[in-house]
Amino acid sequence: MASGTGVVHPVTRWLLRRAAQAGVTLVVVTVLLFFLMRLAPGDPLGQLGDERQYTQAQLAVLRHLYHTDQPLLRQLASWAMALLHGDLGSSFSEHRPVTALIAERLPATLQLGGTVLLVNFTLGLWLGAVQAVRRGGWIDRWLTTLSLAGFAMPSFWLGLMLAWLVGVKWRLLPPGGIANPLLGPDTPWWILATDRLAHLILPAATLVIVSIAITMRYQRRAMLEVLPLPYIVAARAKGLPESVVRRHHAWRNALFPVLTLVGLWLPILVTGSVFVEAVFAWPGLGSLAAEAIGRRDYPLLMGTGMLVSAMVIGGGLLTDVAYALLDPRVRWA
Amino acid sequence: MGLTDFIRQLLAAVWRRPAGRVGLSTLGIVLIAALAAPPFLPDPAAQPDIVEQASLPPGAGHPFGTDQLSRDILARVAWGGRISLAVAGLAVVLSATIGAGVGLVAGYLGGLVDTALMRLVDAALAIPRLFILLLLLVVWERIPLPALILILGTTGWFGTSRLVRGEVLRLRHEPFVTGAEALGARRTRVMFRHLFPNTLGPLLVAATLGVGEVILLEAGLSFLGLGIQPPTPSWGGMILDAKPVLITAPWTGLFPGLAIVVTVLAVNLVGDALAGAVNPRES
Amino acid sequence: MPSLKSGLAVARLAAALVALARAGPLAGQSHDRDALVIVTGQQATMPIPTFMEGPANLTANADVADQLFLRLAEPPPDAMTTDERRFVPVLAKSWTRRDSLTLAFDLDPRARWHDGHPVTARDVVFTFERARNSEIAPKLAGLLRHVAAVTAEGDRRVVFRFDRVYAEQFYDATFNVSPIPSHLVPAGATVANPPKDFVANPVGDGPYRWVRSVPGQFIELAANPDFLLGAPRIKRLFFRTAAETDARINLLLSGEADAIDNISTPVANVERVAAIPDLRIVPLASPLLGYLLFNQRDRTDRSKPHPILSDPNVRRAIALAIDRYPIVRSVFGQYGEVPYGPASQALWIRHGAPKAAGADTAQARRLLVKSGWFDRDGDGIVERDGRPLELTLSFPLTSEVRKQIASQVQEQLRRIGIRIDLARLEGQVWIDRRTRGDFDIDFSSATQDPTPSGLTQSWSCHGGSNVAGYCDPVVDSLLDRAIAMRSGSGPLWQEILRRIEASQPAVFVYAPSFVYAVNRRFTKVVLRPESSWLLVREWSTR
Repeated sequence: MASGTGVVHPVTRWLLRRAAQAGVTLVVVTVLLFFLMRLAPGDPLGQLGDERQYTQAQLAVLRHLYHTDQPLLRQLASWAMALLHGDLGSSFSEHRPVTALIAERLPATLQLGGTVLLVNFTLGLWLGAVQAVRRGGWIDRWLTTLSLAGFAMPSFWLGLMLAWLVGVKWRLLPPGGIANPLLGPDTPWWILATDRLAHLILPAATLVIVSIAITMRYQRRAMLEVLPLPYIVAARAKGLPESVVRRHHAWRNALFPVLTLVGLWLPILVTGSVFVEAVFAWPGLGSLAAEAIGRRDYPLLMGTGMLVSAMVIGGGLLTDVAYALLDPRVRWA
Repeated sequence: MGLTDFIRQLLAAVWRRPAGRVGLSTLGIVLIAALAAPPFLPDPAAQPDIVEQASLPPGAGHPFGTDQLSRDILARVAWGGRISLAVAGLAVVLSATIGAGVGLVAGYLGGLVDTALMRLVDAALAIPRLFILLLLLVVWERIPLPALILILGTTGWFGTSRLVRGEVLRLRHEPFVTGAEALGARRTRVMFRHLFPNTLGPLLVAATLGVGEVILLEAGLSFLGLGIQPPTPSWGGMILDAKPVLITAPWTGLFPGLAIVVTVLAVNLVGDALAGAVNPRES
Repeated sequence: MPSLKSGLAVARLAAALVALARAGPLAGQSHDRDALVIVTGQQATMPIPTFMEGPANLTANADVADQLFLRLAEPPPDAMTTDERRFVPVLAKSWTRRDSLTLAFDLDPRARWHDGHPVTARDVVFTFERARNSEIAPKLAGLLRHVAAVTAEGDRRVVFRFDRVYAEQFYDATFNVSPIPSHLVPAGATVANPPKDFVANPVGDGPYRWVRSVPGQFIELAANPDFLLGAPRIKRLFFRTAAETDARINLLLSGEADAIDNISTPVANVERVAAIPDLRIVPLASPLLGYLLFNQRDRTDRSKPHPILSDPNVRRAIALAIDRYPIVRSVFGQYGEVPYGPASQALWIRHGAPKAAGADTAQARRLLVKSGWFDRDGDGIVERDGRPLELTLSFPLTSEVRKQIASQVQEQLRRIGIRIDLARLEGQVWIDRRTRGDFDIDFSSATQDPTPSGLTQSWSCHGGSNVAGYCDPVVDSLLDRAIAMRSGSGPLWQEILRRIEASQPAVFVYAPSFVYAVNRRFTKVVLRPESSWLLVREWSTR
């Protein structure tokens, strides 16, 4: 354990090692995903529920066209080869490259997920800190009750209620979709922007209400544990104003579980909440992935599955790095 | 001190706090209702008249109304309570135990053990739960109740383990730990006697939030046909049955939903009070 | 930190956001009286004839394709698929029957593709070459198997030759596929390897031309001013996608959508829509048929008969124990019927069929006893040779209707001592098991073709969709005769329905109506069961 110039090397080495591990995990998960998917019964090429189903001969033709009649390992190999060229294949149900599909849906998901995360980590952290500081008071109890009530609600129920109340009954905001189709490409930008905002409010509110409890509770707990700690007391004794104490010292250490939360939240950012996307007809990755599962759209599933896995593994990596950078004691461990 | 003494002390500490009192009493009412009421209520599977008595609002004869199949909702909420509570409770206990154990071991022992365990957690978290469940569909068309609890418990500990590990990492160099090590305490003793009680805080919070999560997860499993099988009612299954009539017959989903909210709130209040009691730094 | 002030500040911020969000629509840009927004459950990603195979075999694709491409002729309003004199000329201006195996169509000389090229006989021949090729379009090739040759005579005449005499030659030639431009589509392209430019911007000859598709959201079409039957009055046509039922209904109720192509159950949803004065309910006969199919072969060994369900008494008992009328009432309200035999509301052969029978639980119990099933141990379930009467009822989870009815059926059969296990299967798993014959009772839902010859798929001994092992040679020969008859086949079809009902291979539970809703500002609204929005080109606005 040294300080000064020797500091960089052990940390970088550790970082590289962690990153390599993450990479290997991703590869293993991807291969597992590939086989799991094809093991599940169901053929993406047949027709759902129509009386006139395909004959075996016709199905054979389709399988040949889509290359699903090849041996599994060969399919995996060709998929992997294409991947190295940046080609994720073509979706069975959308008949277009998977990369294009994901690129189209990703902005919608990021918009929604990003907004939710933003509100969570501003409003949520603030409210959690409020609870910690006013612990035991009526604000603390009410915030707990309200946030937990929100958390306990099924997201699709809450979404439906909001969509119906605000969208249908009061007609304040649109009850679904991401944009108004009647606005052609030549509409002024500010109208398009306000239209987007109008469509964003309800689904974001739904997700925030059901999730803010988590952030608030962890922030509250973390701050409570940290506030009376010796070095905080010492800082106070030194004469530092309370606000500075809170801001610099308590917050730093209170951020640990929250950082873990960020790591766990990252995949949610990408897949969104499938239920909320369904209720509000939000064209995000979550609903794309859910439909793809039902239709056994292998290329699309692989693409989205890999993306989610990458986000999760990346999230874990980020959290570990953040821990290491933030707490000097941990780094030297 | 013995386990029963410990529990009694905890309960007393919870009772001392007003929030804890509310939580415990509510929880008590819910449990009693779920256990004692069902024999006095009509058959939850009976469909007396699917045309005239379907989707009746709450009123005489049906305090909670009827669902689309003319089944009495109060009876189904009471019966469903038994199942949902049992499943959620046992599953959460299981996942909390595994998660705490893994987190403690990984955080304290560090090195290769830590790396291996945490990579396992990463990989497990990375595979969408949906895929695992789809795979299970291949093997089991219907999952017996004990297996359902096992699956819910063993797939829910990953986040908890990360959290506990984080706490352990933070506390590893605290004087009470280094002191014990210096005194020559065995590693298991340090983990379970010294570190574990201090991780109870986040663990209990995670566990109490987990109860609600598992109830909702059970609802999700019902959606895939893996949850509780009809005509046996469960709160999650009832909410899903109520999905098409959420707006037109809101009582169908309202009462099981309320049951969940009330139960989750109560459990959380209890957990809150418990955490406060266990962690003296908070009082 | 926390105070009334900061709480109020947050509330004020939220209100400001909402007000800002509403500013755009208030600027008046978001309403267009000459636009029709239809909300549906799926987005059309391949709305091009001869490419709608496999995963592209969707109603959504067919609906949009019907706006972009024209058929040679369209079926008459009463959907009689057998009378070729009553079909409506569209792309073909007129036709002559040269002999019992040959039809000649004369194309309308005014017909043009959206890029200006004229529609020629070559286009039709090209389209049918692709459609009859089972390596390119397996489903279409199966439907067109009796078309022997399609040839061009000059620029505007197309001649169809069939390999046998049968009533629906004209239907086969005109209904299943609309011609596509031969100068824009590569001959060998398949759905797995589609022509990217053409798919991104399809060029047709129909009343609407392609504008744009925003994936996952909507497709925009614009009226074709040069359309040969007159430019449509509705200038912009949108197909907006919302996969979730409630999301669709919310969009309709809030005015964001003008029309919907089936207000899903429960019936209370129809009442909600009916309560909006701007919306009009339009019930329409639907080609849907829901039935409980009995597996007559053993689940594990198809060569052996089913241990329980091969007994006609048991099947009859189950049918008599199920009270279909209240079931249909409770699920569909007034918008559903109990079918007689496998005939949905859209099939013309159902006219003149007798009323379907009601329940008779006493007779059901008697039939069970007759076959040796009664309750010896008092547990409420009948047994025979020590085995209780237990059956699995399989259905896909995605169907709310079948989920609800399955519970009702389970309860009703419990009353006569049969234990039903509900196997709620994921969509693909259900199809898989059904195709392999791994079920006891399968809750099937068929979307029937307008032509009754489609019945051969499930109800003839060697039908491609006959997964239950039902076989009645008399029905087979009746089917062959009815399909071959040029006219007057009505009584034969009645006999077929009667025979199928009598042998009870299934319990035909429901034949629902579709309940459409359209905003009242649209007039001259005509909807067709076989292709919902086909006649939007003739609608008008106030």
